[in-house]
Amino acid sequence: MLRIEHLYKNYGKFRAVNNLTLHIPQGDLFGFVGPNGAGKTTTIRMACGLMLPTAGNITINGVDAVAHQKEIKKQIGYVPDFFGVYDNLKVKEYMDFYGSMYRMGTKEIRKISDDLLELVNLSDKKEVFVDTLSRGMKQRLCVARALIHNPALLVLDEPNSGLDPRARVEMKELLLNLKSMGKTIVISSHILSELSEMCNSIGIMDHGNLVAAGLIEDVMDSVFGSNQLIITLEGGQETAVRIANEHVGAKVTSVGEQEIKLTHSMTKPEIAKMIGEMIAHDVVVTGFHKQEGSLETLFMRVTENEEQKGGQGNAAESNH
Amino acid sequence: MQLNPIIKRDVRVQSRSMKICWGVFAYELILALVFFLAMIIIKEENQYSTGNIYSALIWLYPVLAVTQLVILALIVPVRTASAISGEKERQTFDIMMTTSMTPFSIIMGKVMTAIIQSMFFVVASMPIMALSFVVGGMSWSYLFWFFAVALLMSFFAASIGILCSSLCKRSVSAVIMAYGFYLIFFVATALPIMLAEYVSYSSSYYFDMSYASGSVLYSYTENFYLFLLLNPVMYLVEFFVRIMSGESLMNGIPHTTSITQTRGPINLIASGNRWLIVSTVLFLAVSFLFLWLAARRINPIKRKAKRQAMQRIAQTAEFAVQQTARQQSPQRSSQEIQSEKAETGVEEKTGQQEQAK
Repeated sequence: MLRIEHLYKNYGKFRAVNNLTLHIPQGDLFGFVGPNGAGKTTTIRMACGLMLPTAGNITINGVDAVAHQKEIKKQIGYVPDFFGVYDNLKVKEYMDFYGSMYRMGTKEIRKISDDLLELVNLSDKKEVFVDTLSRGMKQRLCVARALIHNPALLVLDEPNSGLDPRARVEMKELLLNLKSMGKTIVISSHILSELSEMCNSIGIMDHGNLVAAGLIEDVMDSVFGSNQLIITLEGGQETAVRIANEHVGAKVTSVGEQEIKLTHSMTKPEIAKMIGEMIAHDVVVTGFHKQEGSLETLFMRVTENEEQKGGQGNAAESNH
Repeated sequence: MQLNPIIKRDVRVQSRSMKICWGVFAYELILALVFFLAMIIIKEENQYSTGNIYSALIWLYPVLAVTQLVILALIVPVRTASAISGEKERQTFDIMMTTSMTPFSIIMGKVMTAIIQSMFFVVASMPIMALSFVVGGMSWSYLFWFFAVALLMSFFAASIGILCSSLCKRSVSAVIMAYGFYLIFFVATALPIMLAEYVSYSSSYYFDMSYASGSVLYSYTENFYLFLLLNPVMYLVEFFVRIMSGESLMNGIPHTTSITQTRGPINLIASGNRWLIVSTVLFLAVSFLFLWLAARRINPIKRKAKRQAMQRIAQTAEFAVQQTARQQSPQRSSQEIQSEKAETGVEEKTGQQEQAK
C-alpha cells in the first residue's frame, strides 16, 4: 500500500527525516509515534504531496507520490492536526464543496456525503453551520470530508489533540469502524494508550529516524523479549531460584523481595511443571505472569536508547 | 463543464455575510457624493451659459467611471491579497492542496471571485451611471466599454493581489505588498519617459539618441512612451479621452515637424485605437504571467522535481528490464548451446557414419 524508501528531508542544514524506510500494507491501522519534532508530520506531509522530499521514494499502490500527483491525490484522504473553518458554510455545503473539488457530480456527492455523515454520526447536523459545531464534531466532519472521494489511504495527523474524552472515544470508534471496512489508516498521535488500543502496527520516530516499526506484538517482543516470566512469591526465593535454574532453557535474570524474573524457552506445560515443583518445595507462589510492556514503556525504552546514541554521538563529535 | 468550486463557495459565503451589504452601501454612498459634487460643479460652470445644461451632464460619465475604477483598484487587491494567505491562516490551504484541484485552478477561482464581487459593485452603481446616459444623451455602447475596462482593471489588480498573497504567509503583509507593488507599477512605467524627457530637454544631442540627416533630426526618445502601455492611469486617460473627444492622446506623440521626426515602434502604435488595443493585450499578458507565477509559487511539488521523479522511475524501470534480461541471458545461452550441441551432434554422427561407410 504505502511504501517509503530511503526518505530524507533537509531544512537547510537540519535533517528532519533521515533515511526512512517503511512499508504499510493494505488494511493496516498504522500508528506513527514520536516526540515533538521527530519528523512525523514532515513524513506525513511528504506522503500527501504537500512537501517535496530531499531524497527517496514514496509510492502508494505502486504509484510515485512526486511524479504522479493527480493519481496520488485521488488515493489519499488527509486530515490535518487543525480544523480550519469557513464562516457561513453549512455541513452539507462543506461536503459539497470538497466533493466538487474532486470533480465529483452533484448527485454522487449528495449520496456519498449522506452516507459519510451517517457514518460519523452527523446526519442531524447537515443544515448546521460548520463553525458552530463542537471540536469533536468538526474533527469527525473532517474525517468524513477526507473520505468523500473514497480514498484507499486515510492519513490523520494528531486527530485527537484538543479533544475531550468523549470525543476521543467517538473518534477511536470511528477509526476502528473504518479499519473494519478495509481502509488503510495512518495516524500520528501522542496519546499512546489510545494508539495501542486501535493500531495493529506502529512506527516510532525520533530525531528523524525510524527507530522501530512493524506489528505492535513484534516490536514489543523485539524490545522486551517474548520469553520473560515474573513469578511473585512470599518467601523461599533461594529455592525458587535453584529450581528455576535446574530447568533447561530457564535462566533467572533478577531476584526481588517478592518476585523473581526469568527468561525461558519453555512450553506452557513445562512452566506449569516448574511452578508445581516450587510449590512442592514449600515455596509460596502467589502468582506468575508473562512480562508485557505497554506502548508507553516501549516508546520510552526505544527513544531512551536513541537519546543515549545521540548523546554518545554528540560526545564523540565534541571529542573530535 | 463544472463551475470552479472555489467561486461557488466564496460567492455563497460572501452573499450570506453582511460585509457585502455594507460594502455596496459604502460604494453607492461615495458615488452619490461624487455625483452631487459633480452636479454642483457643472451647475456653477454653466450658470451664465445660455446653452443646454443637460448636454454638460455627459461629463458625469468619466467622473463616475473614474471614481469607480479608483475604488475597484483599492478594493480588488485587498480581496485577492488575503485569498491564499487567508487560507493559510485558517489552515485550510493544505486540505485544498490535497484535493484534485490544480494550483492554477485554485488561483483562478480566487481571482474570479474577486472579479465577480467587483462586477457586483459596478452593476449596483448602474442607476447612478445611467443618469449620464439618459439625461446627458451618451451612447449606451460606452456603458459596455466601461464594463470591459472595469473588468480588465479588476483582473489586473486581482493578479497583483494574488501574486502577493502567494508570496506572503500573513494577509496583512500581503495587502501591504500588493499596494506597494501596484504603486511601483504606476511609478516604474512612467519613470522612463519622465527621465528621457528631462534628459533630452537638458542636453538634446548627448542623450537624445537623435542624429541629423540633412535638415531633419531623427529622434528615438519618444519610444520611451511605450513603457506607458503598462501604466493603468495612462490607460484610463487614453480611454476616456477617446470616448469623450474621439481623439487619441497619443496621436501627437510621434513628433513630425520639418525639423524633427520620431522613429521606432511608437510610430506604429500611437495612432487610432492601436494604443488601447496593444495596452489591453499587454495588461492581459502581464496579469496571466502573475497568475502563473502565483500558481507556481503555491505548488509544493515543482515541475522540475516531477520531471526528475519521472526520470528516476524510467531509469529504475530500465534497470529492472536490464536485470531481468541479464538473468534470462544465461538460460538462453544454455538453450542455444544445447541446440548447437544437438546440431553438432547430428553433424558428428553423420560424419562418423560417413567415416564408417
